[in-house]
Amino acid sequence: MFELHEVTKRFPGTDTPAVDRVSLHVETGEICMLLGPSGCGKTTILRMINRLIEPTFGSVFIDGQDIAQVNPDQLRRGIGYVIQQIGLLPHRTVEENIALVPRLLKWPQNRVSGRVQELLETVGLDPQLVGKKFPYQLSGGQMQRVGVARALAVDPPIMLMDEPFGAVDPIIRLRLQDEFLNLQQSFRKTICFVTHDMNEALKMGDKIAILNNGRLIQHGTPREILSHPADPFVSHLIGEDRGVKLLDLVCVEALMTSGDNDGANGTCVQLNDPAKTALDLMLQENTDRVTVCQGQNVAGYVTWGAIKEYVHRVGGDGPG
Amino acid sequence: MALDSQLFFEALLERSPPHILEHFRLVLVPLFFAFLLAFPLGVFLTRPRYQRYAGQALALLNAGQTVPPLAIIAVFLPFLGLGFFPAVFALTIYALLPIARNTIAGISSVPEEVKEAARGMGMTSWEVFTRVELLLSLPVIMAGLKTSAVLTVGTAVLASLVGGRGMGAVIFAGINFFRPELIVAGTLVIGLMAVILERLLSMVEWLALPRHLR
Repeated sequence: MFELHEVTKRFPGTDTPAVDRVSLHVETGEICMLLGPSGCGKTTILRMINRLIEPTFGSVFIDGQDIAQVNPDQLRRGIGYVIQQIGLLPHRTVEENIALVPRLLKWPQNRVSGRVQELLETVGLDPQLVGKKFPYQLSGGQMQRVGVARALAVDPPIMLMDEPFGAVDPIIRLRLQDEFLNLQQSFRKTICFVTHDMNEALKMGDKIAILNNGRLIQHGTPREILSHPADPFVSHLIGEDRGVKLLDLVCVEALMTSGDNDGANGTCVQLNDPAKTALDLMLQENTDRVTVCQGQNVAGYVTWGAIKEYVHRVGGDGPG
Repeated sequence: MALDSQLFFEALLERSPPHILEHFRLVLVPLFFAFLLAFPLGVFLTRPRYQRYAGQALALLNAGQTVPPLAIIAVFLPFLGLGFFPAVFALTIYALLPIARNTIAGISSVPEEVKEAARGMGMTSWEVFTRVELLLSLPVIMAGLKTSAVLTVGTAVLASLVGGRGMGAVIFAGINFFRPELIVAGTLVIGLMAVILERLLSMVEWLALPRHLR
């Protein structure tokens, strides 16, 4: 758990603060997305959590302790840090890069090598194939996996991630996001994740904090943000298709009509699938109603009309 | 003008050898002091707080490079007199620039994200400096040292003019007595010394480098 209290950063020689009285509370095991345009202060906030930048005033607390009281180097060894440019040490092998923090903490050699093997497998890399390679011999996706493995090395409870998947191509990015969410299911890290991509924020975030000009504009779950944008800036950031985006976050159940599907044609979605799945299926099968199942049993059906009506109601704009 | 081959070989094999050691001393001593001064200066000028002075410092060192070593000796003659020491003094000043310049260039070329990641991982400033910045900039710093070494081998010839001895004794004897054999022999020896010194420093660099950068 960590908490920002009225954190402000004013860089020397600038009139307006880069970060202006931001207070934020991130629960244990939660992914908090910091979202906003470039220059909104999101990276500055992230870097104040591991003291790469010191706040002008305000404080950051980790598990109730003011981090200004902690030695910065010690603090950083206990916080995973992943950046977009990755910053692998070019003169060290993949294994040595991952072993960096364990070595700084003077772990015994056999524990370090065991941990390195384990981590490489965790992030989906073959220790035999990749372990002895140097960073320049890896693809962008592989490098980013090594970056994540390195940050996880000593199993820090908190991770700071600054657009970690920003530099890889869209297909790899989606795969890395999915894999990371899978890992997070079991790891339950407390994560602060910087992005400028609304879709990434909606997909990865338990909470989203939207920033503009150093101020916190809105903080809430993806669903709260989509259904009740705080101001025109947030609406604009979400884009015109927020109704369609909401379909990703609402369960089929909410739009379902109970009873048998008379025109049953074998296409079926699960009760707790996102409504988007039903829409995709309709478009794919060229039909306007799909059966909703709970396990093997039919629970009801969703119609094109119900989806259209919902999107229109929450978004004011529909797919057709 | 015909070369007297007997005189040439006499110059090469009998006159030169006693001066070779002197000449090496005239190269290594200034090089040592130059490194001792210029390397910390270069490091200092890449620290965030003092970075902005790097340009001015380099301009000053560049200016120093344009002053002939003889002029430096002449200026300091009233204080330092003649002999080995003033020669070393002038040669040291002359050797500063390439080392300082390459130290600054090498350390500045270490990618910002690598340093940031290293700091973000919890390396202390000292660990970032020794394990990341210095290792990654070593080839560039060594290139500066090699440049200085080769430069000094040539310039150290002038030392004999102020009584600093070295291979200049052979070459200037040739000039003064119109004996090209001496000049050619002396130059040959100096050329060989430059090559040998450069190779030696390359070997030192090779030993210090992590294996895959070799």
